[in-house]
Amino acid sequence: MAGSLSRRDLGRVGAAIAASAALGPVRANAARKVDVVVIGGGFGGATAARYLKQFAPGLSVVLVEQNRVFHTCPFSNLVLGGLRRLADIAYTYDRLSDRFGVEVVHQRAVALNAANRTVRLADGSDIGFEKAVLSPGVDMRWDALPGYDEAASEEMPHAWKAGPQTALLRRQLEAMADGETVVIAPPANPFRCPPGPYERASLIAHWLKQHRPKSKVLILDAKDGFSKQALFMQAWTRLYPGIVEHVPARDDGRIVNVSASERWVETAFGTRHSGGVINVIPPQWAGAIARDAGLANADGWCPVDPTTFASDLAPDIHVIGDAAIAGQMPKSGFSANSQGKVAAANIVRALAGEAPISGSFANTCYSLVAPDYGISVAKVYRSTPGGIIGIDGSGGLSPMDAGPEVRAHEAAFAEGWYASITGDMFG
Amino acid sequence: MIRNAMAAAGLLVAVASPAAAGDTSKGVILALSCAACHGPDGASPGSIPAIDRLKPSEIEAALKAFRADTRPATVMGRIAKGYSDAEIGLLSGQFGRGR
Ligand SMILES: Cc1cc2nc3c(=O)[nH]c(=O)nc-3n(C[C@H](O)[C@H](O)[C@H](O)COP(=O)(O)OP(=O)(O)OC[C@H]3O[C@@H](n4cnc5c(N)ncnc54)[C@H](O)[C@@H]3O)c2cc1C
Repeated sequence: MAGSLSRRDLGRVGAAIAASAALGPVRANAARKVDVVVIGGGFGGATAARYLKQFAPGLSVVLVEQNRVFHTCPFSNLVLGGLRRLADIAYTYDRLSDRFGVEVVHQRAVALNAANRTVRLADGSDIGFEKAVLSPGVDMRWDALPGYDEAASEEMPHAWKAGPQTALLRRQLEAMADGETVVIAPPANPFRCPPGPYERASLIAHWLKQHRPKSKVLILDAKDGFSKQALFMQAWTRLYPGIVEHVPARDDGRIVNVSASERWVETAFGTRHSGGVINVIPPQWAGAIARDAGLANADGWCPVDPTTFASDLAPDIHVIGDAAIAGQMPKSGFSANSQGKVAAANIVRALAGEAPISGSFANTCYSLVAPDYGISVAKVYRSTPGGIIGIDGSGGLSPMDAGPEVRAHEAAFAEGWYASITGDMFG
Repeated sequence: MIRNAMAAAGLLVAVASPAAAGDTSKGVILALSCAACHGPDGASPGSIPAIDRLKPSEIEAALKAFRADTRPATVMGRIAKGYSDAEIGLLSGQFGRGR
């Protein structure tokens, strides 16, 4: 992986930034103005930046991303299952800048002023824009589950943003004794990647089966049902009998209280579960930059125009990806990628004085239950004045009761999808 | 070839105005959905079949066969049912240009 920096390098970079800030007055930067600022270089933002430049190479496009290395959540469950290393899901932004001419600025955006059309970066400088794309993903809600705050997530990782949290959860699995339980506690809807917790349970079970044969996975669910449920359950019966247990909310699966120091989670009816490893996936909302800019509703998600993804609350700012309320589309990397392209096209059109154009959106979410066992859910979506809706007759699930060849085929396609979409995002 | 065509168009108009749009027509927008699985411009780097070298007529025929469930598929049958004849025509036309 290119572009990773040692701690010492980071110290030097920090010193260099401090020195240049001391020399160059911040006000000089304040005058800077570009055509489009993209905030967040993940599935939505990296895609939007690339396609803005692809549609209109003459546009000045700045991508503001706080991290130098992006770890994809897709395939991070394979890291947990010991099937990939963290380095295998790491990407840098070199080709977005070298090949597509996107100017990548590795800083955190700390404030977005919709009225003045400026974004303030962590170093205090401002960048003005004609249009902005906001794709900050989700933040965990540290106020939603008593006992589960950011400090608790160092004991009981959520691993719902890939990177250090993924590494931590993997280390905990490796350190676990045979016979101990892995607890996974997914949240209620809506949240990032509806099938993700169940793919995770599957791939952890795959690893346990070989390396901790007396251990099991207990899913304590805040919901009664979940994405691709019948397909997952069938696969667990086939591959992991007695290893994966799912407790729905109606059977007291919903956790309401957590103690990181004593390592237990407590359900609505007061049952305490402890585990060798506890993976709490808390409720989520749009990334702070979107909420702080006043672009979110009371639930913490951002309402947008179903054709252009322009914010209902600030028409020059387009919110895409997990942070946006995109009608019936799930919060997936595929959705964010699809939305990034349609938003980019509409921004280019608007800047050129052309009318908006409505595309359609596709989504296919693959889940791996084992390295050679894939299942999927797909749908094609269309913008309507009332919101984004799934097209009748399109999409659906992998067939139940299919044989091993079909599942192996879909597992191979899951890998193919991953190669394609990361190429689409990062060039 | 979507990219090349658009990049060429984009470069030409870029001289006139930085904000001028390259081709963002309906067919282009529809075809962009294909890239997430079939790779940028349909040139798949992985296990999913590449579609960048197929002729528009081949893509159109394949999509209609997937939609009618007369061609076996894992997911393309489910995807193709999301597109009308007109949309299939428009998006197929984005591939195989100049080959
Ligand atoms: C375990 C797991 C498995 C998944 N598997 C799949 C899958 O198989 N298929 C699929 O389609 N989806 C999958 N997803 C969902 C997918 O990861 C998300 O839907 C997708 O990442 C959303 O894209 P986004 O652009 O909204 O956010 P992200 O991809 O998270 O990108 C947000 C970026 O913004 C940056 N950022 C945020 N705030 C700021 C700021 N203020 N300043 C600067 N930078 C900022 C962040 O650093 C980050 O890089 C999975 C998710 C999980 C957790």
